[in-house]
Amino acid sequence: MKKRIIFLIFVIGGVFGLVASLGVYYGLELTSDERFCVVCHEMDPMVIAYNDDVHSGKGKTGVRARCVDCHLPHDNIINYIYAKARNGVVEGYIHFFEDVENINWHENRARRKDFVFDDGCLHCHTNVFDNALLTDKAKKMHAHYKKLLNTKDEIGCASCHVEVGHMGLNNMLNYWDPKYPIYEDKAYEKKEELRRNYFKDSYVPSVKKSSKKDTNSSDENSSK
Amino acid sequence: MKTDKLILIFMSCMLIFTFSISNDNNTTQVEITKEMEQKYPIKAHHSQIGLSCFDCHENQGNDPFKFKNIGDKGCISCHGDKKRVAKRLQYMDMLKANPHNSVHDGPTLYCDECHYEHKKSTNMCLECHEHEVPRWMGVTP
Repeated sequence: MKKRIIFLIFVIGGVFGLVASLGVYYGLELTSDERFCVVCHEMDPMVIAYNDDVHSGKGKTGVRARCVDCHLPHDNIINYIYAKARNGVVEGYIHFFEDVENINWHENRARRKDFVFDDGCLHCHTNVFDNALLTDKAKKMHAHYKKLLNTKDEIGCASCHVEVGHMGLNNMLNYWDPKYPIYEDKAYEKKEELRRNYFKDSYVPSVKKSSKKDTNSSDENSSK
Repeated sequence: MKTDKLILIFMSCMLIFTFSISNDNNTTQVEITKEMEQKYPIKAHHSQIGLSCFDCHENQGNDPFKFKNIGDKGCISCHGDKKRVAKRLQYMDMLKANPHNSVHDGPTLYCDECHYEHKKSTNMCLECHEHEVPRWMGVTP
């Protein structure tokens, strides 16, 4: 009798465990590409630039990296799930409660090293340190990267590959958030054109940003 | 006694091996002094990624005071060709004000017409467009 109970506990436990892990696996899978992330995460300029990049599957090989491949840590599953859950909550909050029309994209991009995880890059680009096809300069710089690992001067892939994964990101961010007020009107037109092409039937015009002419132009003049 | 000798030989071999490895990794053994750093400061965006004199002045010997200008070829070896640089600033084409693809020169200017590594850069556009340039672009990096 006792043996039967233990056996049953094992079987039921196993089935529960299996169902739970499958749930977690498919849950993580279904919430990992740009179509899911863009629903709450303010990332229109990034996702449109991504679709122009070789990482979106446009390359000869058709290999496609998903948002989570580069933007979540892959050192262990706990860190991965924690970072994913935390990002979900933070980005959801920003989407619903913060002033999303006035995000300072340029300031955020300057911190790109903090939200690009090199273990994700190296997971696919496994031969960056010994690929004979790379130029001498690339080989030298990758050796430089390796030398600085685990020192206070450590750099990341995104430190040098400034638009990696998002071809034309600098332009895109200037359409969304022009650094100089003189571009504002044309940038708004360009931004809406890009959004129309990307969102198609679900396109909703965005609110035109208030001019930052007063603050910016005085800053510019004083810095000259 | 024999063991001592063996240990000595082993240690010497290890020492030679270690030195040979460190020499392989760093062929240029020149200390960069404070004086050099002050005379030829490296731009913030270059020093942030840990670049030193020898990363740009490749194969130019060991005497930093005899280094030569690396020219466009040197800059391009990391930054991509001029058309690529112009493309990264394509948003400026909305007003035909892209300094790397201007209506006057297209993507043909020498890098050091405006950008300097060891002193303050200039903005060539300013020579004629004195009042407009601050409205188009920031300080030349």
